Amino acid sequence: MPVIQVKNKSVHIQELNKGARETVVLVHGMFSNLSVYYFNIAPVLAQSFHVVMYDMKSHGMSERCEYGYDLLSMTDDLRDLLDALHLKSVYLAGYSYGGLVAMKMAMRYPSRVKKLAVIEAPDPSDNETLSIIDIYSKEFLVDYINNYTDTTRMRMGKRQLDKNHRMYEYLFYETSIKEDMHNERFFFADDAIGNIAHDTLLIYGKSSNCLPSGRKLYHTVPRSKMTLIEGDHNLPIQQPLETANKLKDFFVGWQVKFKQINHKLWQALRLSYHH
Amino acid sequence: MDAITTQHKLSNEEIFTILKSFITEVIGEEFVEDMDISRESSFTRDLEMDSIEIVSFSEKVKSHFGEHIDFTGWLSSMDLDQLINLKLDDIINYIETCQSSK
Repeated sequence: MPVIQVKNKSVHIQELNKGARETVVLVHGMFSNLSVYYFNIAPVLAQSFHVVMYDMKSHGMSERCEYGYDLLSMTDDLRDLLDALHLKSVYLAGYSYGGLVAMKMAMRYPSRVKKLAVIEAPDPSDNETLSIIDIYSKEFLVDYINNYTDTTRMRMGKRQLDKNHRMYEYLFYETSIKEDMHNERFFFADDAIGNIAHDTLLIYGKSSNCLPSGRKLYHTVPRSKMTLIEGDHNLPIQQPLETANKLKDFFVGWQVKFKQINHKLWQALRLSYHH
Repeated sequence: MDAITTQHKLSNEEIFTILKSFITEVIGEEFVEDMDISRESSFTRDLEMDSIEIVSFSEKVKSHFGEHIDFTGWLSSMDLDQLINLKLDDIINYIETCQSSK
């Protein structure tokens, strides 16, 4: 199990197609883990790229940490991970809160991001996440999971319920996550968002309650384009292949495809010349 | 030379035993004691494994059986329903098929 040390903290990472020239880094959302990409999305991207997934602190199989869930700390973590893996510049995609991390990364370290993809990132000022944290209880978790089960068809038994409950209790009552996320509520008003110079793809679900957030970003991020897929906020679970193909096409880009076609044509011409 | 380099092909039963030990490592012995892990056990419904546990399990399968099987590739060809309904027996059969096509 690849658990690496990054600044004296254990970070669980997964890599596919190591050795490919270009790298895609995938950032998961809060209260989730890298498995949101591992089964379907990452293998598609790995057809063309070296793919790196990692578990955020206290999530999945990464080490627990009491502090640092704000976007500055989360992008410090990501920068440290890129350093540890000797990755100078990468194609970056983030889902939900991970989408905000990806945007912040492009704002703070523009040279380390080649292209930016944001999947279902919420506007922290009108997002339900914060109210969820305030009203959290085990009963709430059961309701939440039942709803999640309906929209994703994933089931959860008692052991899983207890495991999730332990994670939420730790994060909500023993870490600074609540305060840190609350402090990011004005993130969409940050002028620096309007200065993101990267080609940016915004992927949102047609019936997602985050869709208005996506539209706001579309109007603010200069080089952004928006693509809608059938589904709600759980898009990467509901439509993994479509999500993966949109990401792949965006990261590969028409310039690269053009080069590939050109290369094939030249090869064909050279072959016909030799014959 | 061939006889030396040819790896021993594992029987269906041997593969089952190995996979059971991986499941125990992933979800912990205290939970496995109360479970009856059979070939018909499904990962999500019967074994109650969540996706990050299935990631751990997949990594163990990959590092044990190595390059002979493209386990992640095989899983990625499945849709959500197939993943949810995936049984231990499906994996055993897949590994057996890979061994015989080597």
